[in-house]
Amino acid sequence: MFKGIVLTIIAVWFTLIVNAQTASTGMEEETNIYEKIFDAPLHLSGEQQMTFTALYQQKPILVALIFTRCSGICSPFLLELKDNLQQTDDKSFNILVISFDPRDNLEDMNNMAQKFGLENDPQWIFAVTDSIEQLNQSIGFYPIWDNETGQFDHDALLVGVNIEGYITKKLIGIRKKHDLDLLISSVNNVFSPTYRLPNKNSLFSCFNYDPKTGKNTPGLGLLFIALPAVLTVLMLVSISYFVRNKSQRMDRPYSE
Amino acid sequence: MESIKLRKITSVWILAVFVLFIVSIVLGILMRLNQGEIIKQNSVTFYTNMTTHGLTMIGIWFVAGMAAINYLMERYVKTSYTANMIALVLTVIGVLMFWATTFIGKFHAGWTFLYPLPFKVMWATWATPLFLVSLTVLGLGWLIWSISLMTQILRKYSISQAFAWQHFKKNPSVETPPFILISMITLVGVIACLLAAVVLIVLFFAEFFSNGSFVNDALLMKNLTYFFGHTIANEMLYLGLAVIYELFSEVSGTPKWKTTWYVAVAWNCTLIFILTAFFHHLYMDFVQPEGFQIIGQLASYLASLPAAGVTVFSVLIAVYRTKIKWSLTNLLFFIGVAGWVIGGLGAVIDATISNNVVLHNTLWVPAHFHTYNAMGNVLFSIAFFYWFSTQFTENNIKSEKLTMATLTILLIGGIGFLLAFYVGGADSVPRRYSTYPAEFTSAAPLAVIGAIFATIYLIAILIFFFNISKRCLKVLSSPS
Amino acid sequence: MQQSSILLLFLALAVIGVIVFTYVYLSSKKVEQSEQGMANPQKKRFWFLLILFVILGIFASVTIPKSPYFLFAKETPAKTIHVASMQFAFFLSEHAIDPENLSGESIELPANELVEFRVTSLDVNHGFAIYDESNRLITQTQAMPGYVNRLRYKFTEPGTYNIFCLEYCGMAHQIMRSSFIVK
Repeated sequence: MFKGIVLTIIAVWFTLIVNAQTASTGMEEETNIYEKIFDAPLHLSGEQQMTFTALYQQKPILVALIFTRCSGICSPFLLELKDNLQQTDDKSFNILVISFDPRDNLEDMNNMAQKFGLENDPQWIFAVTDSIEQLNQSIGFYPIWDNETGQFDHDALLVGVNIEGYITKKLIGIRKKHDLDLLISSVNNVFSPTYRLPNKNSLFSCFNYDPKTGKNTPGLGLLFIALPAVLTVLMLVSISYFVRNKSQRMDRPYSE
Repeated sequence: MESIKLRKITSVWILAVFVLFIVSIVLGILMRLNQGEIIKQNSVTFYTNMTTHGLTMIGIWFVAGMAAINYLMERYVKTSYTANMIALVLTVIGVLMFWATTFIGKFHAGWTFLYPLPFKVMWATWATPLFLVSLTVLGLGWLIWSISLMTQILRKYSISQAFAWQHFKKNPSVETPPFILISMITLVGVIACLLAAVVLIVLFFAEFFSNGSFVNDALLMKNLTYFFGHTIANEMLYLGLAVIYELFSEVSGTPKWKTTWYVAVAWNCTLIFILTAFFHHLYMDFVQPEGFQIIGQLASYLASLPAAGVTVFSVLIAVYRTKIKWSLTNLLFFIGVAGWVIGGLGAVIDATISNNVVLHNTLWVPAHFHTYNAMGNVLFSIAFFYWFSTQFTENNIKSEKLTMATLTILLIGGIGFLLAFYVGGADSVPRRYSTYPAEFTSAAPLAVIGAIFATIYLIAILIFFFNISKRCLKVLSSPS
Repeated sequence: MQQSSILLLFLALAVIGVIVFTYVYLSSKKVEQSEQGMANPQKKRFWFLLILFVILGIFASVTIPKSPYFLFAKETPAKTIHVASMQFAFFLSEHAIDPENLSGESIELPANELVEFRVTSLDVNHGFAIYDESNRLITQTQAMPGYVNRLRYKFTEPGTYNIFCLEYCGMAHQIMRSSFIVK
């Protein structure tokens, strides 16, 4: 029973940590999956015009929805995204940063690109569109205008779009690198037959899926599966050591 | 050789197993009759019976195997009467507690009590903790017994001798008797799966006492459940095989079987395959990594090689064109090996992932495990019971005809009862349904057929019971 | 049908097994002198093992690639159906299902196009098994709390398909069901 108590203490401690880290709801991320994104005409920096279709046919895209006058989540969200992507150095996709605020024009977007030092990075595309409503609708993104603050009340949203224009995965909120890797593998059409619900704690999970390699790495829970076998071997060796040493000391055969 | 005390306790085990077996068969027949709409039980009663039937059957055939190897092991090493007695007492207490949870508390989470079902209380609130305690009591008793037997083997044989590693080379200096080798391999597996049960129960209790602050991972719990559940169901059969290796030649009047290099290799491989084959219970859980699924299929396939190539083949060689003193004991061994092979075929088919998609949790599953239990392991144990009971009393089965008639009844009952399961499984009928939805037109008639043939099987078991229990009672009442 | 061939294969193998055991038993009954036995048993054992090994090897290499985890992995599904299972019902929806505010809808699926079911459970383990119009089990996955299993399938025949729970989940397990239409 002592073992049980110790395990419980460890377990409770772990749970508290894990619960503190997971904040996402999960449910909203499941909307509009495998639906086509709206083919909005885009105004890109350098006076370029392009349709969404033309863009995703080149490479899969991660769409980040922001507005430049945001005093809240947009800047930290982009910064985190930039940091995480710099670590991966994966060029298999483009990132489209698009404004959902009708007040934003191309100049605002160019300024923003400069602020983050991304104006010369070919992987990052900053754009505005005249079809904000339809685009939001196709993604399932609903920012609410707040007159008092003069701001949009909205989630930080990152949407994965594969080269066929289907939404493969959505991430809401500022997320860990692991989740971003899952999004990247989804736009590249890597199928994993399962995923974990984000709002459940992952204490003692047996495996952790690594989207970059497409493999599962052992989790803490796997120890518990191996534990009985390991204990058995230890027990076998120690019993054998104990009884055989004793029999030598007593110098008397046991077969009688 | 063996003491009178051991003789008596073995008799007690045999009587207890028989009585519980008959009760469990009756529960099983009631379940099939309910599915066949001949009788009407509410679903709670059905699932309560199902839970009782499952865990009682697992328990009794495990202890039957253990009692048999304990008795025979006395030929090689001194075994502990105390451990045997502790196991008996704890088993009785554990079973009584468990029956209280099902029959009084209406606990019906199934004998596999798959997490988190025991926590979704649909029965008396005390039943879940008492169920976990009853498992702890049973597990503790069996663990003490297995460790004690393993310790006694290790007193005489070193680890490498106990696993017959010296037989990998030519002309080994010491011979490890096959009975010791198989007992050792099986005991190690038994201890591992009982320890898995310990971990499982600790995790259950951790959640139970944490008031919701600690929640288990469902995948981990399912893996542990089948590490325990699958492995113990499998190991109890191997206990029966140890008895065959010891007794088959003896009762047949042929030379005693010896450990050879391939017997040693086969059984050492078996230990590894048997501890990894349980992954095949999680094929339909896509959350389990594919690598583990494939290990599950390969281990399940490979486990059949040493079994078929060494044990089954040896039994066939031992009989083929050889003059044998046939008695009920070796006939039951022989039929049991055939039942084991056929159940194994059903198991290998189901352990194929692409077949499992259409067989998982259909009646195919109870079909195959009832084959190698009801027509395999049970016969191994009854063969031992019969052999044991005739050691101390005169063999007064006067007519060979009665023996043959009983065996015929057993075979007819067993085959009919199992075929109803297999056909149902191939017809996609789900397992563990108290009554069937109207779509499954064949399910109810098959259940009735199953119940009828199971009753025929029960008749044969009753004949064995009267025959054997009479002599066991004589052993008990003899002066010590 | 896969099930019929499985049953036939099994019955054929079982009958072979019974014949072998009966033959061996009768050979022992008939034999006169005691010392005959089998000639060259070790050689026969070796061949028996080798053949068995090869058969199992072939069987494994043919069947493993057909495992459900590898089917349709490279395609984008035409439709996603979210499945939330709980004692004792399935909720199916084309949209994500809010656990706080459960609602399902009747589902129509296109024939000959890839469909993905995202199956999870809100309480205990359940089974999610799809039966065709002749009540044959065609595919399944488990519904495990805390995880989402993605089952992909292409329905070729239009009709009504039933869903049954195949993992024992409590007193009303046998009535836990749902259905959808393929057009």
